[in-house]
Amino acid sequence: MSMPLTTLWVLPLVGAVVCGALGRYGRRPAKLAALSFSLAYAGVVAMIMLLSQSNVAFATINETGPQWAYGISYRLFADSLALGLIGLTAFLNLICVIASWDQEVSAGYWACFLVLASALTGVFLARDLFFFYVFWEATLIPMFFIIGLWGSSGRRHAAVKFFLFTFAGSVFMLLAILALVSAHHGATGVWTWDLSQLDAKALGAAARWVFWGLVLGFAVKIPMVPLHTWLPDAHTEAPAAGSVMLAGVMLKMGVYGLLRVALPLFPELSWGALPILGGLAAFSTIYGALCAMAQTDLKRMIAYSSIAHLGFCLLGVLSRTSQGLTGGALQLVNHGLTTGALFLMVGFLYERAHKRGLGDFGGLAERAPYLAFFFGFSTLASIGLPGLNGFVGEFMSLSGVLAALPILAFAGVLGVTLAAAYALPAFQAVFWAPEGAGSVSAQVTDLDRRERAILWTLCGLMLWIGVAPKPWLAWFEPAVRGLVR
Amino acid sequence: MTLLGPQAALAAGTVGALCLGLLRRPPARALRFLAFAAVAGAMVLVALGPGGALVSTVLAVDAKSSGWLYVIGLSALPLAYWHDGEDDVFTALFLGSTLGMSLLASAANLPMLFIGLEFMSLPAYLLVARSRPGARGLEAAIKYFFAGGIAGALFLLGLSFYYADTRSLSYSAVLSPLGQAGAVLMAVAALFKLGAFPLHWWLPDVYEAAAPEVSGFLSTAMKSAAVLFLMRLCEMAPQARVIGYLPAIGAATALFGSIMALRQERLQRLLAYSSIAHAGLLILGVGAWAASGRKAEGASALLFYLGVYAFMSNGTFGFLKHSGLETRAQLKGRGASMPAAAAAFTVLLFSLGGIPPTGGFFAKLLVLWRAVDAGLAWPAVAAALAALISLAYYLGLIRDLWLEEPLEDAPASGRGGGLVIACALGALLLGAAPWLMGGMAK
Repeated sequence: MSMPLTTLWVLPLVGAVVCGALGRYGRRPAKLAALSFSLAYAGVVAMIMLLSQSNVAFATINETGPQWAYGISYRLFADSLALGLIGLTAFLNLICVIASWDQEVSAGYWACFLVLASALTGVFLARDLFFFYVFWEATLIPMFFIIGLWGSSGRRHAAVKFFLFTFAGSVFMLLAILALVSAHHGATGVWTWDLSQLDAKALGAAARWVFWGLVLGFAVKIPMVPLHTWLPDAHTEAPAAGSVMLAGVMLKMGVYGLLRVALPLFPELSWGALPILGGLAAFSTIYGALCAMAQTDLKRMIAYSSIAHLGFCLLGVLSRTSQGLTGGALQLVNHGLTTGALFLMVGFLYERAHKRGLGDFGGLAERAPYLAFFFGFSTLASIGLPGLNGFVGEFMSLSGVLAALPILAFAGVLGVTLAAAYALPAFQAVFWAPEGAGSVSAQVTDLDRRERAILWTLCGLMLWIGVAPKPWLAWFEPAVRGLVR
Repeated sequence: MTLLGPQAALAAGTVGALCLGLLRRPPARALRFLAFAAVAGAMVLVALGPGGALVSTVLAVDAKSSGWLYVIGLSALPLAYWHDGEDDVFTALFLGSTLGMSLLASAANLPMLFIGLEFMSLPAYLLVARSRPGARGLEAAIKYFFAGGIAGALFLLGLSFYYADTRSLSYSAVLSPLGQAGAVLMAVAALFKLGAFPLHWWLPDVYEAAAPEVSGFLSTAMKSAAVLFLMRLCEMAPQARVIGYLPAIGAATALFGSIMALRQERLQRLLAYSSIAHAGLLILGVGAWAASGRKAEGASALLFYLGVYAFMSNGTFGFLKHSGLETRAQLKGRGASMPAAAAAFTVLLFSLGGIPPTGGFFAKLLVLWRAVDAGLAWPAVAAALAALISLAYYLGLIRDLWLEEPLEDAPASGRGGGLVIACALGALLLGAAPWLMGGMAK
């Protein structure tokens, strides 16, 4: 493994090609190939993470490749933030493959997930802005087909909407990147797209426009209210595993972009923008929670809750304090685990009863005790019960923003309260309320062994981060240290 | 004279096709081979060219013109493959039009530009009429002829103004108001040929009525020649004020084409509007190239765009020819019944929409970048918006193709799926290895 980082994004891509090629021999070979490649990919990621943890020399890994015209060069870079998110990608990808094991899907399904994992890995690894953008856009294609081909009834509309909205943001991001690279060349005579060399000072008065162009691209992805309208449709219509990858990893690209590109390049401008961006983030937490409260569809409710949760991450990150940045980064992982688990369980429910409305169930706690246990556990983690992972991330984000701009912290606390106000009644309606007329609870059998194994793993991690967050925080801290104001 | 080998090959092909037509039953296979050999031969001769440069007052054969000859040849090859050779006049017209383009590519003064323009246009009118028998093709051809005639007349009028002012048939450093007016008229002629808004009105009708493979030829080879035509004008009259308006015209054209394509039901008409949108981006590219001192980077960005577009547009029109599909309703749910060609079509649509990692992404990136670099921030933002709007209908086509249920019986597929796949591979290859094209653009 002389090129460990290249291996990381090429391996799933090779897996996708193998899956596609095996498609003609029926469903099983492709499925097995997808599982083995996902396992191998997760294994390699785990090895690199262990290596970087145990050996100071590998705390950050650089890899350089050929350079082309206009300073475009193949440069990869992995620090603990990138590796942490790649770890999340590999883990959730594996979970998704196992969770969809019994579904009657063609080889293309598995190939799409592996292509998605490859492109996401590329986004987190790229140090050259050109490759960053290419990988960024490349994530859209597999997700477009995952939603459009294997989603539920409104899938076609949702797939196109998802693609167009997120592309709209990234077009402006691209223009901003081009302006940055051109200005750097104008000032220094050097063509480069390398994040570690680019200097935003060359932009002069245009810096403001470039900064907001970048932020627009990232804010659509996060998504920050009022740019969030693509999310509820995409998350609701996607297949369960697709929602897991969407919420679990793809939303994180936006925050990662802020952490990796916008904040380091424009430290002053981003600090000046705190009242606007932080205000929108705080508004997202409240607005997302209020919208979630109004939903009658379980999956749509979780989708809106994602908007609120990502608002907390943003508050932490934008506060530019040590605890806020670390907590925000950890919250990225937390949200991937809890929301991933919730989306999977709604998927399991939907597979059994073909319904997911809050009023379609009742009394499930008796019929499916395991499901009730895991759902309750994940709900509590999601609303930030102390002792579980959500509390750690939200607490640190809020304490960070309290130090930076206290009023935002008050808005955030309101968001936390509201989270309990939509999540607990929803849990009650599905699991504890008496079965009403038209209830489909009778069709719901309890989780089987495979499903339980997935959820034990996810909930175990939630508990671990909740009771012993220190190693997790220590993992992310070095990567965000440089951003502390 | 070896420097004019490519033109000679095309001229020989044209004459050869006419001679074969004298036979009682012209052999179809020989005509097809002739067309293919003439175009491919011209491209090989460009590559094998002695490397020297012929620069006279009339013709200039240099690195730049040979780059353009490549792209024109690349754009014309698919039609050489598609046409069935049943009509010897068609073959002769096709090769004659390509010859006109190759003359235009090497034109060094304004009258020669005009000769090249007419030489490529006159056969093209007849190509449209002969490609689809019946009243529809004829009507489109007449419309095309009138539009082309107006463009030609405007050019001549502009040229006379220009000559009256400068006493020059080529380069002139300073222009009086009369010369400025002449430059405007000549630029309008070029914009007419490119289908720039608001001079686009003939284009959708023509592209819709012609056979799809002919529309593919017109939208690629003809567009390449017209872009070069506009660039030559910028070179000869660099002080013309009209050049300053090109970025705005380009951005408006891109927006207009993208918006109009949104609501089209007939596929050929949709692709026609899409080609207007792409012409808009190219005009913006020419404006950026002129605004930043006509540097080689700007020209190579345009050449790359046209090279990728040769694959994308010929491939998508070729898919219509191959599949026989005419409307979006017929397209619905057809992906499963012809997976390979439909996958190739999908790749081409993503490329037209500028999604990485395809060649279309690089093409758009380079042109937008040149515009940003030249300080044309607002036209660049407008063109980016146009790209976004255009993605709505490219994605809409992909949705129709793969995500919808089949609605009605569609016509059976014809031959040539392989060429569509080859075009898609070309677009992908230029995305993965864009420097492959770099050699030509030098």
